[in-house]
Amino acid sequence: MDMLPLTEPVLLILMSLAGQPRHGYSILKDVERMSDGRVLLSTGTLYGALRRLLDDDWIERFEERESSRGRQAYRLTVLGRRSLQQEVDRMKQLTRLAALRVAARES
Amino acid sequence: MPTIYQRLLALYPETHRQQFGEEMMTVFEQVRADIRDKGASARAAFCVREIAGLLNGAIGEHMRAFVGSEAGFSFSTRRFTMRNGFRFPKSTAVLMTLILLGVIVAIRKGEAIAYSLPRVNPQLPPIQPVHSMLLSGIPLVFMCFYAAGLVGWAILFALRRSGVHRLAEMSGERK
Repeated sequence: MDMLPLTEPVLLILMSLAGQPRHGYSILKDVERMSDGRVLLSTGTLYGALRRLLDDDWIERFEERESSRGRQAYRLTVLGRRSLQQEVDRMKQLTRLAALRVAARES
Repeated sequence: MPTIYQRLLALYPETHRQQFGEEMMTVFEQVRADIRDKGASARAAFCVREIAGLLNGAIGEHMRAFVGSEAGFSFSTRRFTMRNGFRFPKSTAVLMTLILLGVIVAIRKGEAIAYSLPRVNPQLPPIQPVHSMLLSGIPLVFMCFYAAGLVGWAILFALRRSGVHRLAEMSGERK
């Protein structure tokens, strides 16, 4: 799979699901918390992203004992976790390189 | 607002509504309950965000359903990288509109000044700006055509005879 840079909302959604399975509302709140209120997802945007991630098999529905149609939980798949890890590695490499370049310029 | 939300939700393809409609409505109600105690500006921002998100999402889902892939309108998992040649920030459109308005106002002022000045040479008629009609006429004609197109498309969409519906039928037949 080609691992292009993820958009910030999608990255935050994946990060939110990395810790535990979550419902839509919980994802929205967690994304808001992680971004210090900077990224506020609408339900349309959230479910567009969730649909796409489901299609790509990066996330899956998580069956709960007391789940209703209005409260569906999602969790990362192995592929989704691997993709998230690749993105994190890519960002690490980028920030390391950026730090080196900035340091070289300053010295 | 919930009524508007439900109406806008109806713009999504049926498969998407069946899959996520109830969930989206539940999450919307939860977020709405959170925002109820906040200020008017927060509530207004929430409404705008939800409406824009739904419209954008509905267009994207229709495009995906009929074209078979993610279109430019839809919310993509991956970042869409624009080439430099196609960059056109929204602020530019606003600035261009402002400049156009400024030009029109300047022409009108010029007209007023031309009429108010004493005619030194009565044999010469007052200077008539040639482009004033052109400048005010073009946007008007454009808006008329645009409105007519929108009305036509809305009628076709309501009758389920729009291009997207036809494409859906074609893709359904192919399957």
